[in-house]
Amino acid sequence: MSTIIANGLTQRFGADLALDSVDLAVDAGEHLAVLGDNGAGKTTLLRILATAARPTAGSLQILGLDALRDRRRLRARIGFVAHAPGLYPALSATENLEFFCSLQGVQRTRAAEALALVGLTADATRPAGLLSRGMQQRLAIARAVLHDPKVLVLDEPDASLDSGAADLLAAVIRGRTVVIATHDRPLANRLCQRTLVLRHGRVLGAGSRLRVVR
Amino acid sequence: MIRPVTIALAVARKDLTSEWRTRELVPALGQFVVLALVIANFGFQIDSHNAAAIAPGVLWLALVFAGLVAFGRAFTAEREQASLEAMLLTPAPAAAIFAGKAMAAAMLLVLCEAVLLPALTLFFGTPLSVPLVAAVLLATVGMAALGCLFAALVAQVRARELLLPLLTLPLWIPFIVAGGQAVQVAMGASGGYNQALGLLIDFDILFVVLTSLAARFVLDD
Amino acid sequence: MTKWAAAATAAMLAAAGLIFLYAPTDALQGPVQRIFYLHVSSAIAAYGCFAVVLLGGVVYLWKDSLAADRLARAAALVGVVFTTVTLVMGMLWAKPIWGAFWTWDARLTSTLVLWMIYAGYLLVRRLAASGRQAARFAAVVGIFGFIDVPVVHFSVTWWRTQHPGPVIVNNALPPEMLLTFLVTMACTLFLAAVLIAIRYQIETLTDETPAPAAVLDSGLRPESAR
Repeated sequence: MSTIIANGLTQRFGADLALDSVDLAVDAGEHLAVLGDNGAGKTTLLRILATAARPTAGSLQILGLDALRDRRRLRARIGFVAHAPGLYPALSATENLEFFCSLQGVQRTRAAEALALVGLTADATRPAGLLSRGMQQRLAIARAVLHDPKVLVLDEPDASLDSGAADLLAAVIRGRTVVIATHDRPLANRLCQRTLVLRHGRVLGAGSRLRVVR
Repeated sequence: MIRPVTIALAVARKDLTSEWRTRELVPALGQFVVLALVIANFGFQIDSHNAAAIAPGVLWLALVFAGLVAFGRAFTAEREQASLEAMLLTPAPAAAIFAGKAMAAAMLLVLCEAVLLPALTLFFGTPLSVPLVAAVLLATVGMAALGCLFAALVAQVRARELLLPLLTLPLWIPFIVAGGQAVQVAMGASGGYNQALGLLIDFDILFVVLTSLAARFVLDD
Repeated sequence: MTKWAAAATAAMLAAAGLIFLYAPTDALQGPVQRIFYLHVSSAIAAYGCFAVVLLGGVVYLWKDSLAADRLARAAALVGVVFTTVTLVMGMLWAKPIWGAFWTWDARLTSTLVLWMIYAGYLLVRRLAASGRQAARFAAVVGIFGFIDVPVVHFSVTWWRTQHPGPVIVNNALPPEMLLTFLVTMACTLFLAAVLIAIRYQIETLTDETPAPAAVLDSGLRPESAR
């Protein structure tokens, strides 16, 4: 059974139909790239997959659990890198991570490990508010993997990352089931085995990376 | 193993550490209450005869407005919204996260009270006593729980400056009534202090329980 | 629905007839006393509406039922209307009788609080993101509001034992007045039910054809990449 199975995901905001009956399936260990222009519904879709939002209609199964009913249990196994980093500016990078370690119920040593993974060990004691946008994004990525999630959802993580983004992301997503939204097609090709293209909230096309053409 | 109390304390510590490092809110609140006292002095023509009669009212006015600011801030920063979501996407229960934020906000209001009460004594000559402090602290607990719950709610909608007082003040009235009576007695009026305190404790229990139960519907979808 | 509306209107007219033609004039308060029938009925209808709001909210939170939320929406609006009527009539009554439009006794204070809370409820509905968020938040406000009103009433009653204030004269009601009151109350409750039903239908229609999001609606939806 696939790790992520979505059927008919629909999201409505008032009269605005942000997602229209989206189906997708991601197997264990597979990396799926979600492509589409601004306003196509990528963020809306990813937020639903990360259990950060509830769809208006449709069903979602992740790791064999009903994502709408078992959200608490699932959240322990999903990591989400949202569009906004959502860090605490007055706290240092380490303190930010250690705080989330206690929320996740994992050992505090994981904070240092995650910092090393994203290459922020040198800036561990700097207040997060003073980090560059690229470094903040890396910190957000570190936070998303503190609890070693099986499923990772990333919303345009490359948008603010500085150089070495591809290598960093490749290292972070290794061995996990990943859905990543991005504008960067070469990056998508490098990191992912399959792509899904959204337009106006509907699936325009899906396929292996070799078959997606403009 | 995730224990709710650990979560709540971690969240409270995080909020208080952030506030300590930026030192934005508490000085602003302290300044506000002193200003309120100065205005009251001229607005009411306070003298030694009427000070004890007017001071309780001034105390509650200052406390209510400071409370609206303090609790309103607990959830409003745009960054907070994104980081609130990050907190919810962990196994930590929403009620525990809420409790932590309410505790931190209450603590900040208490710091403001630590300025307000001595200032009241200084400017109006009213006594500063344990019964007075007890009444104010007990009221703060319930007001914090309610204020933070609705602050969390309005932080996610528009027109928050309008909505927060509209929703919170009706719920604060029992605290102002009972707390007001207790403060009046502590400042020399006659009346049932113990009864008032008992009421405050009852209200605290009622609303702390209710807000904890409601927290997950307000914070999370 | 039209025949129910006509029936409710007829019932209110019948009640009005009783109030003005059948009930005797009060010896102490004079003709002004006739406000009492509608004033108290209106208050009871309002509480009834808010009980429906509470029920709808609880069922929504428990079962995710859109119909329950719709019922709560409808009842809240009707309830606020009745509360406004209660407050206005109360003030009209108070001025000739007590000489002041307002006093801070338990009943008046808690009715004002009631009005504030449910006005807040309606605002929250309007300002929150439509759909789940509005329903969720409104349910919470409705629950807290319903619990708060008796708490406020109790606090102010207690406070009045410390600071005695004006006392509302409560004579025993002669049978004609009692009858008039009961009939008026029944008619008012019937009217409230009809109004809620009409409003419920309107809400159902609104749900099926949602209005386009207002320009100012930004910031409530997740930021897509910009």
